[in-house]
Amino acid sequence: MEPPPPPPWDGILPHRSERNKSTSEEYSPSAIPTPINFVNLKPWRKPHDHKFLLPKKLINNGADLTFFHTTEAYRDIMEFVMKLNHSVCPRLLSNGRVQTFVLSEDEEDEGKYCVQVRRVREMLGKVEQVIEQVPAEDYADRRFGNRAFRRFYEVVFGKRGELFEGLGFNEEGAMAELGVYLMGSWGSPERLDYGTGHELSFLAFVGGLWKLGYFGTGEVALRQIVLVIIQRYLQVVRRLILTYSLEPAGSHGVWGLDDHSFLPYIFGSAQYTKPIKDEDDPVPLEGSAPGTPKPSEVSNAASVQNLRKENMYFSAIGFIYDVKKGPFWEHSPTLYDISGISHGWGKINKGMIKMYDAEVLGKLPVVQHFPFGSLWKWEQATDINMRPQGSTLHAASQPVPTTILPTRPYMTTDDERVVKYIEQGRRSSDGVPGRASNQYSITKAPWAKD
Amino acid sequence: MSDLDRAIAQLRACRPIPETEVRELCHKARELLIEEGNVVTVNAPVTICGDIHGQFHDLMELFRVGGDVPDTNYLFMGDFVDRGFYSLESFLLLLCLKVRYPDRMTLIRGNHESRQITTVYGFYDECLRKYGSANVWRYCCDVFDYLALGAIVLGASYTLPASPGRPLATPPGADVEIEVCNADQQIISQFLRKGRGDPPNGSMENGVVQQSNGVSSSTPTNTGPPGSGASGSSGGSLGNPAGAVLCVHGGLSPLIDSIDKIRLLDRKQEVPHEGAMCDLLWSDPDEIDGWGLSPRGAGFLFGADIVKVFNQKNDLSLIARAHQLVMEGFKEMFDATIVTVWSAPNYCYRCGNVAALLELSEDDSGLGVLARSNGDVNRSDGGFPGGGAGPLRGVLTESEVDSKPLLPGPARRYRVFMAAAQDSRGMPAKKPVADYFL
Repeated sequence: MEPPPPPPWDGILPHRSERNKSTSEEYSPSAIPTPINFVNLKPWRKPHDHKFLLPKKLINNGADLTFFHTTEAYRDIMEFVMKLNHSVCPRLLSNGRVQTFVLSEDEEDEGKYCVQVRRVREMLGKVEQVIEQVPAEDYADRRFGNRAFRRFYEVVFGKRGELFEGLGFNEEGAMAELGVYLMGSWGSPERLDYGTGHELSFLAFVGGLWKLGYFGTGEVALRQIVLVIIQRYLQVVRRLILTYSLEPAGSHGVWGLDDHSFLPYIFGSAQYTKPIKDEDDPVPLEGSAPGTPKPSEVSNAASVQNLRKENMYFSAIGFIYDVKKGPFWEHSPTLYDISGISHGWGKINKGMIKMYDAEVLGKLPVVQHFPFGSLWKWEQATDINMRPQGSTLHAASQPVPTTILPTRPYMTTDDERVVKYIEQGRRSSDGVPGRASNQYSITKAPWAKD
Repeated sequence: MSDLDRAIAQLRACRPIPETEVRELCHKARELLIEEGNVVTVNAPVTICGDIHGQFHDLMELFRVGGDVPDTNYLFMGDFVDRGFYSLESFLLLLCLKVRYPDRMTLIRGNHESRQITTVYGFYDECLRKYGSANVWRYCCDVFDYLALGAIVLGASYTLPASPGRPLATPPGADVEIEVCNADQQIISQFLRKGRGDPPNGSMENGVVQQSNGVSSSTPTNTGPPGSGASGSSGGSLGNPAGAVLCVHGGLSPLIDSIDKIRLLDRKQEVPHEGAMCDLLWSDPDEIDGWGLSPRGAGFLFGADIVKVFNQKNDLSLIARAHQLVMEGFKEMFDATIVTVWSAPNYCYRCGNVAALLELSEDDSGLGVLARSNGDVNRSDGGFPGGGAGPLRGVLTESEVDSKPLLPGPARRYRVFMAAAQDSRGMPAKKPVADYFL
């Protein structure tokens, strides 16, 4: 019997067991281009044959985290990220010209979006309208995050049916399962914060739709998922952050990549990589498309203002400029250092994917909130060789299984519980955020159980 | 010592000192700190500061607003490091000043002065980035273990000495309890002490004198200055009736009912995950009764009743603490029995908050200052006889606590300041990136 094929990220990502070694040689650039062959992740043909499940939180400790990295859910998340990443890479056309894919704020471009993309975009617009209906409150004991966000959350929760209707969905099970991911996308009403875990939840929502065949199989739809849907989502999220002063859920102060987001740095760097010839080419791991800006433009405020309109990386940088005062190199030293990389956007793109895998999918405080169901499965992937999973240092230093921790209320579609929670939230006057996050208005103990 | 002065000059210019000098400095600092008690006694006048979090340029602004060392006597309540870009420069400068002027600089430990926390919240990364190795981080952490856990301020004046400009129309003979000034030494608002017999929770309305064009135009009219609670309770006796002030980074602990119990802790260790030492650095006051679980996962929440009993039992009039971002820079709570002081303006470059420092002036009434000697070396002001308030007052029973009035707080001057100007900082060379990008 033949051994199963390696995972598509082989050669880009190091073995998990090697990722915490102090020297970088173990997984440095050497073994590149491995063709990315998406064998596993394909849209399903008959979603109505499928038995949907209400997603459940299942990661509670270091051992669960280690297991997570062998699951179908992990495999599919990574593959979906890389599929999306691949779709926005510039193309070398047969006439020798290079086609790049950029953001557009032009309403006329809407006609070019496929109908499903347009619907999801409209749905995000409806969510944005709720922000307008629910202004931030002024109250005496306010600390940082604004508790009007809880009202926003409640209103969006109440509109779930309507939102899914707009997508053309009427299947109860699918709505329930996807609804959990959708509601996990806006931030935490309890802690009044937002971070990469919430961003991951939105990715799972869109990825779930894609798996169900909602967007079809074409690459165009994938590209529009990135440049239209995810970008629109990020716009809504940025507005949420500004309106309700949502704290970063996981801030290391200046020493993190970004206070709130990660995906725009992956896809934005992909938009500028060296062009590929056709769909089967792997994403180049070095080099940039001709005419793309230098990475060092991130510290040039004027360039950022221009480029944020066309590129997701600069769009995210632009938001940092919006909210932070002070020299860029000082408040964002990690991004500043990355901007000195001399091997082009491909190099940055590869690094971002590795970093996402390690710092988002590899961190218990982030992924412990991720729930598993029928679309993102808590089952060991057997069709590919995930290789022996050495427990990472991070996983090993996490709490060992003791008691089953309660599911986070915002990650369930159990309406009664959510409504009860929202009512509690309304009654509570403190608004003190905390628990699993490193928000800046409070420091949370790393050893605390969430 | 010229080497030290040179290091101070270099750090004031925001330039890190070489690793060998850091090692030497940390060694000296440890020798000094090891002689301090868990609770350091500090004589007023003193300027009390909250979290700094590596905001070096804002620390310079703090010194500009509060006066330079050694002219001003400073007490920093911890959280020098993490989150900001200049934790290293900020902490080393404060440490140099501590070694150079031990009597004029008191540093107590915050929850971020810990190995475990600094590896999560940035200081470790910063040291690696700036020195290429973790040695300096290690030296600093060894110093953290020796920092005092708290301080007692004695001899703070009940009345506020006239400040250079007192433009506000205070009623004749009125006692100013709280004064809020901006960074340019202008008085923004004053709050008068209530007369005898006023109800303890009475409205402050009549006691407020405000400048109409003050920075803090949103000051509530009946709840004290921005971030402040009501005034202290009855006062107005002769001499210096003000009780002592306890300074601690976080707050109280259910395991600590007297200051003496803090003195008995073995503090020379990494901050434990639980227990009294942990609580002092992690707890927060909250609008609850008694004790509550902290959302931080360490320390506790404690209510007004806890503070009241603790202050009564320990002859304190006020607890000054830091640890929580407050948008106005300071926030008095629970009838002004506890105050949060926050000294990192526009925290994390984006919170939009102002910072504050708290000045307690020296009592010159000739009364109420106690002779102290608690054996602190390198501190000319010694300490409380026998340590703490216990031996002076004896152990109080519950009923005595109930009947004893709260001591009135010292007069408090808050200086509020904003983030330092950002213009003239050059762009540094890019450093090697994380492994992911190699």
